[in-house]
Amino acid sequence: MSACSGGSGTSAGPAADGSSSIVFSTWGTPEELTRFTEFNTDFMKRHPEIKVKLQPVASYGEYHSKLLAQLTSKTAPDVFYVGDDKLGQFVGSKRLMPLDDLMASDASKTKKDDFFAGTFGAAQQDGITYAAPNDVNNDAFWYDKKVLEEAGITEDPATLASEGKWTTAKFLEMNDKIAAKGLIGSMFWNYWATHYGWISTQGGTAYDESGAFVGNKDPKTLAAVETLGKYFQDKTFVDADSLPSGAGADSKFVTHKAGFFAQGRYTIGTLKGAKVQEGYDIVDWPTPDGKAAPTGIAASYLAINSDTKNKDAAFTYWTEFLSAEGQKFRLTGGGNAVPSIKGADDVVLEDNYPKHAQTFLDMRDIGFANYAAEGAVPALSTDISDLFLELYQGKNNAQGTLDKVAALIASKSGK
Amino acid sequence: MSTTLAEKPARVKTRRSSAHDPFPEMRKEAGWRKRDRAWGYVFIGPQVIGMVLFVLIPFAASLVLAFAEWDGLTDLTWVGFKNFTDQLADPLLHKSIINTLLLALITVPIGLGLAVVIAVALEKLKTRTLYLILFFAPVVTSTVAVAMIWQQMFRSDGIFSATIAKIFGITPPDWLGDPKLALIAVAIVSIWSSLGLNVIIFLAGLQNISPSIIEAARIDGAGWWSLFTKIRLPLLSPIIFFSTIVAFISSMQTFDTVFILTQNAGPDNATRTIVYHIYDLGFGRFQFGPSSAAAVILLVMTLVITAIQFGAQKKFVHYEDDAA
Repeated sequence: MSACSGGSGTSAGPAADGSSSIVFSTWGTPEELTRFTEFNTDFMKRHPEIKVKLQPVASYGEYHSKLLAQLTSKTAPDVFYVGDDKLGQFVGSKRLMPLDDLMASDASKTKKDDFFAGTFGAAQQDGITYAAPNDVNNDAFWYDKKVLEEAGITEDPATLASEGKWTTAKFLEMNDKIAAKGLIGSMFWNYWATHYGWISTQGGTAYDESGAFVGNKDPKTLAAVETLGKYFQDKTFVDADSLPSGAGADSKFVTHKAGFFAQGRYTIGTLKGAKVQEGYDIVDWPTPDGKAAPTGIAASYLAINSDTKNKDAAFTYWTEFLSAEGQKFRLTGGGNAVPSIKGADDVVLEDNYPKHAQTFLDMRDIGFANYAAEGAVPALSTDISDLFLELYQGKNNAQGTLDKVAALIASKSGK
Repeated sequence: MSTTLAEKPARVKTRRSSAHDPFPEMRKEAGWRKRDRAWGYVFIGPQVIGMVLFVLIPFAASLVLAFAEWDGLTDLTWVGFKNFTDQLADPLLHKSIINTLLLALITVPIGLGLAVVIAVALEKLKTRTLYLILFFAPVVTSTVAVAMIWQQMFRSDGIFSATIAKIFGITPPDWLGDPKLALIAVAIVSIWSSLGLNVIIFLAGLQNISPSIIEAARIDGAGWWSLFTKIRLPLLSPIIFFSTIVAFISSMQTFDTVFILTQNAGPDNATRTIVYHIYDLGFGRFQFGPSSAAAVILLVMTLVITAIQFGAQKKFVHYEDDAA
């Protein structure tokens, strides 16, 4: 591998003695950043010739604007995280290093086939890989057994799922019962994985294989979105983004105000923090016939700056960070994500919590990352979520919403 | 004229007498002037450089970007007036404009009215320094800290909500979760945080009113109320006018309170202001063209509103010279 690729990244090139210094940037909670620091310390012990400097940004909302400014001014870090809603844009800008040859090389601990294929999403363009998922967070349905019991529900969703009886009808029936008690049936974050996850599990098709949006012409998609809209409009389903900060969805869930909450593995931290973890479990999304179907997989990605002067060191860090060992190191104990690579699943099952933790792995194995057609256009996913919000608020109907989504995609991506 | 002519020979004589320089004092004075001017440039230099770097260049860049499509990474594409037409048709911009104007219409009159009342109440108070410190504290406190504290107070179990609920015997309002209340919550915080500055300005204005005018009015038999409404308030009107302009412009630029207090601009974009809209388009969605177009629209709106205020001031603003 070439040690110097020109450009002017944040770090200087390798020193005369062969040592290198690289900058790694990400967002994260204080706990996550502590874990990254621990990883870096461990990495530097194994690679004394590489010094890694962590450049953290506390908020996801501000991370990408900073990264954008850094990339534009050629001061970007050598290795950095990118969110799945921004990835396509960064890939399209050619500021990320193509990784296929490096991943296939002897220095790689992360061959392309080691990752779950459905998780690459917009990280691949025209057959070239520009980033790989750090780990993933597929939204399972967390449920509060106490709320279900209060609503007179005697059946356990996870048990029903294991028997192939976890149907949409059963899920909606439970939500109706919970709502009848004056509680929230289900809470969802309004983003691509929610609406496309629902469409997919209800048998609909949002995008066809060519990458064109066909949801507004597909009867099953229309029916699924009608149901989704109806339940949001009568407030049985609640948009978690609309809840006030400080008294938000997490707070409602741990205080037994909601039956279901579509969230990732990081919910473990919330429940354990509130010391209420005992009464909660997870189940995958219901389908009309009870057979599991794909749902959206939220992911963040790790990329290498195409301008880095420390290509070797940056790739060594990149591949170890993403390797099965690296993911185990980062995800053990924290419980905040699901591995994106084969060989690290133990971390999800390590302390048998939640009871049906295997569901996370099963959902990941068949799930899908954000559609590349959507991820490649700046803010397209956010704009589509705004249209779905109009549906949830009763300002539009299902067909109108899907038509608007189709028109928006056509105007912004030409598909 | 004669004085000048009479003095001239003496001054010339004095100057001629000092070494070889015929005009040493004038030269010395000119030297000082040059040095003063140089120091003046040194002192205003950073301000001018800052103005050019952080105001004029971004302003020009924003004007240019308003006519282009640019995501910050790929090449810039010219689109003419498309960003403006798109923005003017965008329901989110409409909502932002309505919210911003509503916020200004709530905060400016209430904020300034309260400040006048408090300034009048404090004018004769001996312990007013203590009160001024209390009122001024939010002005010097970081907006982020203020917003975070109020975020806790607005919780249904927070002190503000609980007190309101107790006084009126109602269920604690969901200030930040209810689209109808979220903007009012932002207005409350804005009024509270700017109150101290307005009180100080009005107090200074009240104390600057010539005692002779007050005394004359008193001799003419004016009571407290007519003295306030006919003399003091009209004479305070130039300062009220100035504060109104500043408060309106400041209100049009509300961002940080919204950003911290009601993340994502509140439920159903209930607190989405124009500046938040500009930020969201630019730095949230990387749509720098539409974001710049929205910024230009805000500039035009602010100019129009300020011009209207300047037009209206002729009727409502009275100066002490007029009174004399």
